[in-house]
Amino acid sequence: MNPETENVTEIPESTDSSSSPSPIRSTLGGATQDGATATVAGETPASHAKGITITGLNAWYGSQHSVRDFTLPVARGQVTALIGPSGSGKSTVVRCINRMHEEIPGARAEGSVMLDDVDLYGSSVDVVAVRRAIGMVFQKPNPFPTFSIFDNVAAGIKLAGGKGEGNMRDRVEKSLRGAALWDEVKDRLGEPGIGLSGGQQQRLCIARAIAVEPDVILMDEPCSALDPGATLKIEDLVHELKKDYTIAIVTHNMQQAARVADTTCFMLDGQLVEHAPTEKIFSNPDDSRTEEYVTGKFG
Amino acid sequence: MAEGRPSFQLQLAELETATLGGLDMVVEQIDRTLEALAHHDVELASFVIADDDRIDGRYLEVHQGILSLLALQAPVAGDLRLVAALLHVIRHVERMGDQCVTIAKTLPLTGNEPPVREEVLSRVLRMGRCARDEAHQARRAFADRDVELAIDLVRQDREINLLNREIFRLAIEVGDDADTREWAMHMTLVARALERVGDNAVDIGEQTAFVVTGLFREFSDSSHPFAGTSLG
Amino acid sequence: MSIETLPRIAARRRRTDQIMRGLVGLGTLIALVPLVLVIYYLLKRGLGAWSADFFTTDPTGNFIGDQGGIKSALLGTIEIVLLASALAIPIGVSVALYLVEFGKRSRFAATVRYFVDVMTGVPSIVFGLFIYVTLVLNGWLGSSFAGWKGAVALGLLMLPVVTRAAEVALVLVPQSLREAALALGVPRYRVVLRVVLPTALPGILTGALLAVARAAGETAPLLFTATIVKDTSFNLNGPMNSLPVQIFNDLQQPSDALVNRAWGAALTLVAMILITSLLARLVAKRSAIR
Repeated sequence: MNPETENVTEIPESTDSSSSPSPIRSTLGGATQDGATATVAGETPASHAKGITITGLNAWYGSQHSVRDFTLPVARGQVTALIGPSGSGKSTVVRCINRMHEEIPGARAEGSVMLDDVDLYGSSVDVVAVRRAIGMVFQKPNPFPTFSIFDNVAAGIKLAGGKGEGNMRDRVEKSLRGAALWDEVKDRLGEPGIGLSGGQQQRLCIARAIAVEPDVILMDEPCSALDPGATLKIEDLVHELKKDYTIAIVTHNMQQAARVADTTCFMLDGQLVEHAPTEKIFSNPDDSRTEEYVTGKFG
Repeated sequence: MAEGRPSFQLQLAELETATLGGLDMVVEQIDRTLEALAHHDVELASFVIADDDRIDGRYLEVHQGILSLLALQAPVAGDLRLVAALLHVIRHVERMGDQCVTIAKTLPLTGNEPPVREEVLSRVLRMGRCARDEAHQARRAFADRDVELAIDLVRQDREINLLNREIFRLAIEVGDDADTREWAMHMTLVARALERVGDNAVDIGEQTAFVVTGLFREFSDSSHPFAGTSLG
Repeated sequence: MSIETLPRIAARRRRTDQIMRGLVGLGTLIALVPLVLVIYYLLKRGLGAWSADFFTTDPTGNFIGDQGGIKSALLGTIEIVLLASALAIPIGVSVALYLVEFGKRSRFAATVRYFVDVMTGVPSIVFGLFIYVTLVLNGWLGSSFAGWKGAVALGLLMLPVVTRAAEVALVLVPQSLREAALALGVPRYRVVLRVVLPTALPGILTGALLAVARAAGETAPLLFTATIVKDTSFNLNGPMNSLPVQIFNDLQQPSDALVNRAWGAALTLVAMILITSLLARLVAKRSAIR
């Protein structure tokens, strides 16, 4: 600690916005509600991915009002995370996007969910078509047990009648490559899908989902049932996938949201509390409830 | 809401206490340095030099504690800003300690009976008291998260800078003989060190504002006269 | 608790344990005795009657002299049971599909389930009489007694068994599979047909085979519907022979030879049921390994 070598002037923090943002700086002019415009510097959204706009969504399980007046833009080509304590309604919101919520007996949803400019809850809309455009990956990997690895990936195309050209083999390979699973299974495509490890099964489910070429991929706590190594692989995969798809991910793990998401939405008791670029949520959130949740003071 | 993560909160609070404690040590050191200057107390000066080890030790402690906290607890949002700020603050504390050592080292260099010029010395001592007050105020501002108090440091710092220029001017004029000139040059070095102490205090004020608002902003002060303008 | 008191309590518990084990073992033996005796008698009395002729010639109806074999009865049983299965299994599985996939918690589904449960308890003779009154007496399809009417009666018997087994197998299919398929954008009916059904197939098959095994041995329904004939017939729209009815008939004759033939037929029937049951267990085991 030689006092003679100290600098003449202290180097100040750079305040010009052309430098890459330091992780603890709040984005100047940062978005709170319009996350759709706050693209991370250097990323261009994929050209064929579509954006989702949720407006005034309400959802019920029987008489229990579990999502209240929820409004959220899910920007195209970006990853949006939904975080919040258990029971905050995050999974319900996501299931309302691909209209899986209404499959539960006694459940209903009202409001507007737009895929680009198509209202998914419109009266003439085919639910099956909605689900082909919006893929889903679940918490517990669920490959079809009676299908081989190949058939699992092809299942989406064969059973759902997915669009796209090329023969089945090529499309299956493309999907498996897209899910970072091809190298591990290319020699055993005929083996049953459930013979894979947990992390591989989840990537198989991702391959199955992208085989139908959706516009949006929803992920409901996709890594909860996986070990840390498999979790990181899936997170890397999400980074790759967002080049081609819009992704919404529900997660309990805040570090995961921090690592993976461009924008993060915090929910509490079925309502949206704050939606902002992830960096802002984790460095300088506007709402004190967000701050308390994110720093672990509750939840 | 129930307070979660009590052990983490405790660790964070202890880090802050340690950091501000370092700042308290600095204030004490400034007091001793000024005392030594005023009475040409070489023994006190050597004590100041030796005691800087405590401040350096405090720096290492806090630095290690921060690394550990970052690695193990993954702080975010307000907690993260506080941790980052503490890292800066303890660095400034360490620098301030070093300035005191710089000043203390000039005493034996100026000989047993230095040709003191009252007009210079009085200003130096006044600078010193300002610097001491600034350090103390910075400590209070940070501890209380008082942004207004932090911004006020700029006002005090202007006085220091003013005195610094005066001392510099006087030093040029004062030199009749070589001894006096030599002493005057040492005094300009002392003044420069005191001015640095003031700057560090202002920087601590900036960190206070950062913790509270999440925005880092240079306070417009005299060493950056063009800040906030098109030339800044 | 001191060391001295420990052994005493343990000894008491050990005694109780041994007594209970003994009682349970005894009960098992008692239950096994008739089973073993039946098998023993079957083998003792029946094996002797088995021969090449036994399986390849029809009963002649002669009281003395050459009585013939059981070929028409054997073939008849196979034909009737096959037809019954062809009727009962698809319908039973369909009902189960409705109950599990589509009706679920509706009032109607609950009613259906209740009636299916009731049907499992209806005595087989009642089904026989029902078919007799509705189909045989009214001369449906221009015949009185007919093989196909016997098949219907047996089918009614099999239906609740198949339905229940299929329902259990379908319920065991995890909901996550249906969700995965639905979320892919697969229409409902294809989810059921291509994902749920294949997954539940082993369980359904096991249930079906057990129902077949049961139906093959029922006598009463066939007495009133298919009755008994001597010759091998492939005309399901006419009276048809079957093993249970043949046995029933032969046993009532005062001829030793005929009684022996009855035992042989009984052994044949039991062997067939045994093979079917073994098949069911094999299927269940294979699906459990996956």
